[in-house]
Amino acid sequence: MDLNTFLLVFAITACVYMACNIGANDVANAMGTSVGSGSLTFKQAIVVAAVAEFAGAYFVGGHVSDTIRKGMLDPSIFADVPIHLVYGMIGALVASAVWLNIASYLGWPVSTTHSIVGAVVGFGVMAGGLDAVSWGRVGKVVMSWVISPVMGGLCAYILFRFISHQIFRRRNPLLYAKWLLPYMVFMVCVILANAMFYKGLKNLHLDLSFVEAMAYAFVVGVIGFYFSKILVKKVPDVPKREIHRQLESTENIFKYLQILTAFYIAFAHGSNDVANAVGPLAAVVSILKNGSVAMKVEMPSWILAMGGACIVFGLLVWGRRVMETIGSKITEITPSRGFCATFGAATIVLICSKMGLPVSTTHTLVGSVIGVGFARGLPTLNLGIIQEIVMSWLATVPFTAILSAIIFKILLITLG
Amino acid sequence: MRTILSMFAKSPFKPLVSHIDQVNECVSQIVPLFEAYKSGDYKKVEQISQKIEKAEHKADKIKDNIRQHLPQSIFLPVDKRDFMHLLSAQDDIADAVEDLTVIMRLKNIEIPEELLESLMDLVQHVVDTANAACSMIRELEDLLESSFGGAEAEKIEKIAQELGTSEWEADKKQFLIAKKLFSMDDKLNAAELFLLNELIKKLGGVADQSEKIGKTLRMFLSR
Repeated sequence: MDLNTFLLVFAITACVYMACNIGANDVANAMGTSVGSGSLTFKQAIVVAAVAEFAGAYFVGGHVSDTIRKGMLDPSIFADVPIHLVYGMIGALVASAVWLNIASYLGWPVSTTHSIVGAVVGFGVMAGGLDAVSWGRVGKVVMSWVISPVMGGLCAYILFRFISHQIFRRRNPLLYAKWLLPYMVFMVCVILANAMFYKGLKNLHLDLSFVEAMAYAFVVGVIGFYFSKILVKKVPDVPKREIHRQLESTENIFKYLQILTAFYIAFAHGSNDVANAVGPLAAVVSILKNGSVAMKVEMPSWILAMGGACIVFGLLVWGRRVMETIGSKITEITPSRGFCATFGAATIVLICSKMGLPVSTTHTLVGSVIGVGFARGLPTLNLGIIQEIVMSWLATVPFTAILSAIIFKILLITLG
Repeated sequence: MRTILSMFAKSPFKPLVSHIDQVNECVSQIVPLFEAYKSGDYKKVEQISQKIEKAEHKADKIKDNIRQHLPQSIFLPVDKRDFMHLLSAQDDIADAVEDLTVIMRLKNIEIPEELLESLMDLVQHVVDTANAACSMIRELEDLLESSFGGAEAEKIEKIAQELGTSEWEADKKQFLIAKKLFSMDDKLNAAELFLLNELIKKLGGVADQSEKIGKTLRMFLSR
């Protein structure tokens, strides 16, 4: 086996391992609010997640993957010896995978996104000093780590205040819920369809303009609208006086919406996190194929598909139990609250994916849940988690950066 | 990966309802207690007192449990201080009922004929007031669900107003009975005068705490 093939196999193995890890751990958190509120059983959640994660990864995963593979380091430092970039990317994958395992073992909640970004920056600095890193781009990424939970919170807050005012504070909440549901279904369908159709179908060689994508998305939205109208008609009416039963039925209506947003967030998660595994691999493949660090070629769709498939595999094999645990333990969230949190987080993550910004879906969801809490939607909320998240940032980035740099150096010395 | 899980702490509102159930248990014994006392069945008074003591003790344990599980980092959709006041008001009702049993067991007094009717009327009035307050707490779950607005909030508002009126009426009745009592100072000895007055005051106290529950719940609506 020659060196190149060995490196390729090594890289693919590391990528598959990372992707399985993402599927095993991350997805459960993203789906947590949907299962916890009782809108989906954990088995149903797994099916929804499997389809949505793959779709998100395949159709929209390219932008963030591009950032990871070529957006953070200055390519010129590797121009003379492109193989070093390969060593670095492999080092980054291995370092991230090791950190995820340690953190898992210790029960710490860490982000795969932060791990890989830290690792890439780490070997970059080792290779070419501080100038090797595009600090402008990396700075933007780090800022998005802070802004995404805040924006997720804001989005969820506004959404909950809206449905609180329009539905829950009415004398006849069920009536308004039935009326509003189709419109909300329409909105989610349009957003999702647009995300897929606009710039998303390049892999199928269908490049639609924004207007065309919007038009098709509108059609999907309208179908969703009328479909949900039919579903809503089946829900029996409850007399105005029986407020308790009314509220119960209203929550049942939101279950339909939560199924949709569960798909939405899994899609968004796939679109953002697949890059953490395949971004480095794509760099390796590109360099080994072309022999240069100029990565002008689009993200190869087979890599996105492979990443998506591995995430699903990880979810099905190891993620089941985590999903079941998380879902069974969260009891304080109802479908309407879960909908707001999930929608808020999914929207922000998807926007970041389109902008090529790698963010943590879990942290964004935490922000959204806090947003719903601040809008008085939850009976109780533990804000201590904010501290945990900050600590995990502070631990993750330095660790993976240093470990990645070390592995890079080792590969440099042993393989030349 | 336990991130999402650690955000969701145990809700203090469910235990609050468990607490009021114990308080209600105490309140439900007030009428039997007075029936036994007025008919001179002091053994029964002792029995009922034991029951009340047990329920009050259970309530105390629940109260302590709630307080322990509300550290600084927990965020509630209502002002935490208001929440604590509510819990205290609930607990004070149970304490007041227990105090009634203490007073009764200090001395076996024959309640004068002239006072019997108005006393039992006050007892029933106070019990009704307390039951109304307890029923409000059971609406908390729906109040949370409707985000402190809508029909639920209106219901709470209405009951709180009725509680205020009820407490005011209890005050008036309390005053009239006390007046009657002290006009009989030649027929009763010091101990009887003092203890009977204490009983009347404690009954009034139960109505006061019930009104307090209504007032605090109203604060939940506004915050």
